[in-house]
Amino acid sequence: MPRRFGAYGGAYVPETLVPALGELEAAWRSSRRDPVFRAELIRWSRTLGGRPTPLYHAENLTRRAGGAQIWFKREDLLHGGAHKFNNALGQGLLARRMGKRRLIAETGAGQHGVATAMIGAALNLPTEVYMGTRDMKRQAPNVQRMRLLGATVHPVTSGARTLKDAINEALRDWITNVRSTHYVLGSAVGPHPFPSMVCDFQSVIGMELRSQSRALWGRLPDLAVACVGGGSNAIGTFHPLLRTPVQLLGVEAGGAGRGPGASSLVCGTPGILHGAFSYILQDAEGQVRETESISAGLDYAGVGPEHAMLRDSGRVRYVSVRDAQALQAFHWVARDEGILPALEPAHAVYAAVRAAARLSRTKRVVVTLSGRGDKDLEVVLRHDAAQSR
Amino acid sequence: MTPPNLAEVLGRNRREHRGSLLVYLMVDAARRRRLPSLVRGCWEAGVTGIELGFPFSDPIADGPVLQAAASRALGNGTQWSDLLGAIGATADELPVAVMTYANPVLHRGLRHACRAIAAAGGSGLIVPDLALEESAPWVRASRRAGLSLVQMGSPATPASRVRTLARSSSGFLYLVSRFGTTGRGVRAPGSPLRVLIGAAHGVCPELPVLVGFGIRTSADVTPIRRMGADGVVVGTAVEEILSGSTEPARLLRYLRRLSRAIGARGPGD
Repeated sequence: MPRRFGAYGGAYVPETLVPALGELEAAWRSSRRDPVFRAELIRWSRTLGGRPTPLYHAENLTRRAGGAQIWFKREDLLHGGAHKFNNALGQGLLARRMGKRRLIAETGAGQHGVATAMIGAALNLPTEVYMGTRDMKRQAPNVQRMRLLGATVHPVTSGARTLKDAINEALRDWITNVRSTHYVLGSAVGPHPFPSMVCDFQSVIGMELRSQSRALWGRLPDLAVACVGGGSNAIGTFHPLLRTPVQLLGVEAGGAGRGPGASSLVCGTPGILHGAFSYILQDAEGQVRETESISAGLDYAGVGPEHAMLRDSGRVRYVSVRDAQALQAFHWVARDEGILPALEPAHAVYAAVRAAARLSRTKRVVVTLSGRGDKDLEVVLRHDAAQSR
Repeated sequence: MTPPNLAEVLGRNRREHRGSLLVYLMVDAARRRRLPSLVRGCWEAGVTGIELGFPFSDPIADGPVLQAAASRALGNGTQWSDLLGAIGATADELPVAVMTYANPVLHRGLRHACRAIAAAGGSGLIVPDLALEESAPWVRASRRAGLSLVQMGSPATPASRVRTLARSSSGFLYLVSRFGTTGRGVRAPGSPLRVLIGAAHGVCPELPVLVGFGIRTSADVTPIRRMGADGVVVGTAVEEILSGSTEPARLLRYLRRLSRAIGARGPGD
């Protein structure tokens, strides 16, 4: 498991966490080769999670784009309504193996909090979730789901009261309770070994995509597209395709369009946030900037270190999509395909439609539909109402 | 006059079996005028040296009091130039170490930042989110600038690792007293501190070991001295006094009690 991705990554953490990160790495190293652990992971993924998720031909959206064939990798159909299940399950099983008695997590959109709450309930591990109060307000249905699943939700009131601040608070909890607690970090960010481990757990997306596309078409798609906040569904999609000719496109949140939004790869510079050296949005003094995006799940000033390397090498192209464009794509997917997508992958859909329009009809574009949009109804309806006024 | 050097002052106290007391002060543009009298007060109270905290937007090792202090300082427009000014205003009286998170230093370039701190009169650097494994370039840059790079240990650290930390550390070894963030946390069962202090002194007999995080009263200090530590660092308690009152006498009284309890000696004594 790499500690660094080129110059990026590492583990910039207080000493109290160093032994815990070492213990986690050792547990994961032994588990990933252990057939018993692998079998357990697959069994839970299928029976509780509903894997594999289908590859769906979005024919109406394809007609709208007027170019390449658009397909969805349907992670929105996974239990809990997002790809977050893959990682929460893997880390939950690891935590149990390490003898941890309590799970904590941060959440932005609430999907990772919901996934961790589900796994905590299924594995009998008490679960506490940190969430910024701004996100609690805009993703209220997920707060209620977490509570119904038995988790305690801790409101975080520092900073911009979004994902970054929730991670800060979860890290402080972990520093205090590290002996009894596993921190289920929800994205491919943070100190080593989290970025590599989360990538491992999420790579099921790209591996399924690979085998499904070979079964369906006898070949791989021409382009794979995924949204990037911290970057877990994107790295899970991209990683198994890195050594193939498939073109890869990561889509960041551009916010209202007045500033960088939350586009750390497109607009940021290298720096250290939450234990990793990667691209971050920071000011001239090296202070981390507050971000803004319509989607709570992409509203983050940092990004996973492997994406930083892939950006520099050019293997993945990263673009930024604004709030209004994501909303437009949300409605396209709803009307054309009968699917309410989460606002996070709606960013990716917008970029995919634009890319497909420039490609011939014989090409294939796969978008990872990382989550479903029930949580976003209030935000979408409010924006629509404001538009029609 | 050459500013007093932190490593020298702490090292001398250790050789002469005296305690050391470091005080953490958050650099805040709005407190610029207050700083010289604060430092003078610390000096009079027998404080050994000052840790100047440079605020960071995401202070994961800090509890609520120092988080609030950092966000207030940033809200007041505190910049790197304020840190260098604060070092200048402090270093004539007392030796100074800078304590800040990795990113604000890295953002300036390690070599450039270390040289600037040293040129302003600082003699040490403490970075709570710089794990030993990432510290090699920092050790080189600080050594080249003549700064001590202080490594941190914690109750979670095994004795074997604390020996490595001590060998890599310069100036002193900073031991975190509890599981938790600054100002609060939970005590470790047993007495890992005693074991860690012994292990560090076993491999580096001349390196002072100071204990911080959650140190508040004279009653906290006495057992820590008895475990073999050379001194303590106080931060949260000081910040609470400073944000609650602009009356310097209160801080002075508090620090006097603490420095007596620890048998501290300042550079001027």
